[in-house]
Amino acid sequence: MSWMDLLRMSSSSLLKRKLRTFLTVLGVIIGTTSIVVMFSLGLGMQKAMYRQIEETGGLNTITVTGKEAGPGSPEGSPGGKKGQERKQVTDQLVSQLAGMEHVKSVQPVYTVSAVLLKGGYEATVQLTGMTPEGLESRNIKLAPGGRLPESGRGKLELVYGNGVLSSFADSRGGGTYDEYARLPDIDLAHDTLFLVLDESGYSQSREGGMSPAGFSGETASGAASPAPGSSSGESGAATGTGKSVRKYAVQASGVVAGGQEDYGEHFSSVYCDLDTLKQALKKEFAGRALPGQPVTKSGKPYREFCYSQALVRVDDIHQADSVAAAIRQMGYNAETNAEFMKSMKSQLAIIQAVLGGIGAVSLLVAAIGIANTMMMSIYERTKEIGVIKVLGCSLKNIRQMFLLEAAFIGLMGGAAGCVLSFAVSTVINALTATKNIMGVGGGISFIPPWLVLAAVGFSMLVGMGAGYIPALRAMRLSPLAAIQNG
Amino acid sequence: MIPSLCRALISDRDMGGRTKIKGGLNVQSVIQVKNLYKLYYLGEETVRALDGVDFEIKKGEFCAIVGTSGSGKSTLLNMLAGLEKPTKGEVVISGHHLERMNEEQLVSFRRRRVGFIFQAYQLIASMDAEENVALPLNFRGVKRSERTAKARLMLERVKLGKYRKHFPNQMSGGQQQRVGVARALVSDPEIIFADEPTGNLDSRTSREIMALMQKVVKEQGCTLVMVTHDPQLASWADRIIKVIDGKIVSIEVKKKESTEDEEMV
Repeated sequence: MSWMDLLRMSSSSLLKRKLRTFLTVLGVIIGTTSIVVMFSLGLGMQKAMYRQIEETGGLNTITVTGKEAGPGSPEGSPGGKKGQERKQVTDQLVSQLAGMEHVKSVQPVYTVSAVLLKGGYEATVQLTGMTPEGLESRNIKLAPGGRLPESGRGKLELVYGNGVLSSFADSRGGGTYDEYARLPDIDLAHDTLFLVLDESGYSQSREGGMSPAGFSGETASGAASPAPGSSSGESGAATGTGKSVRKYAVQASGVVAGGQEDYGEHFSSVYCDLDTLKQALKKEFAGRALPGQPVTKSGKPYREFCYSQALVRVDDIHQADSVAAAIRQMGYNAETNAEFMKSMKSQLAIIQAVLGGIGAVSLLVAAIGIANTMMMSIYERTKEIGVIKVLGCSLKNIRQMFLLEAAFIGLMGGAAGCVLSFAVSTVINALTATKNIMGVGGGISFIPPWLVLAAVGFSMLVGMGAGYIPALRAMRLSPLAAIQNG
Repeated sequence: MIPSLCRALISDRDMGGRTKIKGGLNVQSVIQVKNLYKLYYLGEETVRALDGVDFEIKKGEFCAIVGTSGSGKSTLLNMLAGLEKPTKGEVVISGHHLERMNEEQLVSFRRRRVGFIFQAYQLIASMDAEENVALPLNFRGVKRSERTAKARLMLERVKLGKYRKHFPNQMSGGQQQRVGVARALVSDPEIIFADEPTGNLDSRTSREIMALMQKVVKEQGCTLVMVTHDPQLASWADRIIKVIDGKIVSIEVKKKESTEDEEMV
């Protein structure tokens, strides 16, 4: 028999029992959908992870941070010479790292907590200062009209993450974005905001009483109601006393592209130029320890400026590990994305296996359904099978016919299941778009084309697997059944 | 004296499957059954469905196997068609030993050489008359256009040309059996086995079907082996084999050309 004839016979016997075929196919649809959706969640996570790695500099970036020498450290006996007991990221280290083999560039990064104020709204943000080249290398996608902050202008320019707006809270009791889902009426790209670098000083002044006398009242009210749109330079020096909290009027040079639901690496970041930030901080904290800077036992700052971290970019991905090891040898913490990815990958593999397993259970149930349907069909058609055997249908053809029927059920279920999966995936993505589940925002379900093909192929195989024993049974049925009357 | 004649007949058979009949007339025998036994074991009891059967059927002959129910006639037919394995003995059809074939070989043997007519017609309900008739050709891998043309021709021959697009449940019993006859004949088989072909039909339709079978078989020159319990129907045949309790009690040969009308065993 030709394949066309076999196909014709199989499909016609499926069509004869439409409801039963439909119900069996429905089982496969559900099974396929659950497997595909489960896999798509795992793949969505993987995709988000890759995106995150891409945004944090890909696989050739090493993050170097300082290390506090532990008490049992061989170097630096307690209270020993300075510079021995702690390893900090200083300009000296930066140049030292830059001189290493395979190192393409080293970018120091300084992160400090700061408060942004605007018309009664306030937000505490992490202000990250980076060199222009460093910012360049972060691959920040800015909304149209934006640019990266320039160095050497003596004035702080900020790049806001697309999610910064949602971290503003109404200090007059309006609550936060998370509570009310209402964004403050601030245009980050064009409005002038006030920046407070001395975050602890500011919060003390807000709480009142704890700060020096003559500080609390006026400052708090001044902070709460600056004239909207006031852009009079450094007008924020609310009370001119030396210890007061200084407010800088700052404007944005750009805003990260994307809306409140497009979660990304730069979602809630605020960037500025490193040198400008350093100057501002030194001015603000003259004679005091800068926030985030290490201090000696007596609370005095070190002479050298210490960065939060340094981003070391190597010229070859394969050298990242060896360079990181060399940096660790020097006594610093060094992390590469490759290590992060490795650990994430093994975690993801477990998650994917669990998710796939859950989906597989329902496909297994569907497979049992197929086997059952095929068995029923064979019992029902015992006589017909006998007749075609008497008429000379070869055993191979009979087996093929029933396998094809089972494969058909699998194929139809698989194809329809994939269509349904896309619908489910769209719904999941729509529902989770604004939430950040496991640090993965928007698009947690992702169905690549190969998954569709694999799912259809797999469900077809499952169908054939489930139909194999029934097909053998049909093949072995006695032709005598046809002779018996009734 | 008579058993010795029978033995003489068998021993006279040469390797080509030809049997010498008195007067030197050479007629090819298509079916040869030798010392055939079929035993069924029902618990302690052993049922001898066929208890040592010997006979031959010649090419182009219309042969009827007659017997009451339980006589073993259906078992005999099943063996001739290779649907059941004999316990002992030989079934040789056109020189092929059926008892030595495996199932796949038997199926392919039936596909190439045998047509089958069933008592309950056994048409495939989901196919129309034309597709049913074309089914054996389908198994032979004949192209669709070719099989349809041939099926149409066969349906014309059994006077069902107008019914080719009808489904089995839209036809009367007689019409269905005519489709069955057409299906058996469509692949130009050497032998047609008919198992109580008129068992489900009234006497008038039965006669029609018998006449049709006789006519078409003569036209195509194939051998017809029919099983029936009705001696009336058996009388249509050229050779009548009577079976009682698994044994052949008589073989009656009606040949117009033949001077001997009867041959008692």
